[in-house]
Amino acid sequence: MDREWNDNQPIYRQVRDRVVAMILDGVLKEGDPLPSVRNVAAEYRVNPLTVLKGYQELVEERLVESRRGLGMFVNSGARSLLLQGERQKFLGEEWPRVYATIQRLGLKAEELLRDGGGRPESSETGDAAGEPSSDAAKERD
Amino acid sequence: MKMKGFFLPVLLVSLSALAQAQAAAPKPPVPKSDAQKAFEQLKTLAGTWDAKVSVTPPMPDMDTGKPSQVTLRVTSRGNALVHEMSEIDAPADPTKYDHPVTMLYLDSDKLTLIHYCDAGNRPRMTARASEDGKTVEFDFVDISGSTKYGHMHHAVFTLVDANHHMEDWTYMMPGDKPIHAHFDLKRADVVTGTK
Repeated sequence: MDREWNDNQPIYRQVRDRVVAMILDGVLKEGDPLPSVRNVAAEYRVNPLTVLKGYQELVEERLVESRRGLGMFVNSGARSLLLQGERQKFLGEEWPRVYATIQRLGLKAEELLRDGGGRPESSETGDAAGEPSSDAAKERD
Repeated sequence: MKMKGFFLPVLLVSLSALAQAQAAAPKPPVPKSDAQKAFEQLKTLAGTWDAKVSVTPPMPDMDTGKPSQVTLRVTSRGNALVHEMSEIDAPADPTKYDHPVTMLYLDSDKLTLIHYCDAGNRPRMTARASEDGKTVEFDFVDISGSTKYGHMHHAVFTLVDANHHMEDWTYMMPGDKPIHAHFDLKRADVVTGTK
């Protein structure tokens, strides 16, 4: 787990999101136990109640189950449930913004898919205002 | 007429002496309200405490590793008590670390608690003390800020002795599902002599 917290949402939501990322990335597999509340609290210097809040959200979302006295475990089907939810979230919330940007910049599908959707060709580097992107500038340095 | 001229100064001197005697006499102490007594009781907790934490729903391994830490500080000339939770060794950097802060103060005849939550809200609770004054229980009154991410809902302070107390905190998750943490606290100042 990343040790840095951002200011955009409560820490317990970020704990939840990090466990979700670990499940999606396959770091936590179905049937695996979640790291203990105490260990996460000590290692990431957060209140144990904060960690528990994050875990409890995952229980509510049926991604993990609480086994009395044993801890919390990733449910079977959690990854596909997450993928389904995350896909819907991307298509519903993020994709419209991305699509609008693509339209605004006049990007073509082949440009987006080139090198796995990475960076544009060197002659085209820069944003719409003609300024070089920071990535491109770093490369030149 | 002569008698009248004699008695008037004597009377005035006597009244003055009486008034001075009354002013000098100790006033009977105003009895403290239950809220004041409870607040005084909680202020005795000022200091640094190491906490063993257990939670509900129950989780294993809660006794392993370093304890959590709670600090209580009397401030504002005795008008407020600051309660702060943190993990041992966590730098006092509120932008990066989890430092839930709670303020306790007297609001007229009510001992009041406001919890400043990183969920972005501020629940207000008021206290009722047990008969023996050893337990002070705070019930939810109202809240300011968003409850999108839930809110702290209930708190209980139980005083065992000068170096031992317990705290029970109940957080209400979205959908009004409670989770609970029990803090068993030993005074760290005594253990480490670092007060």
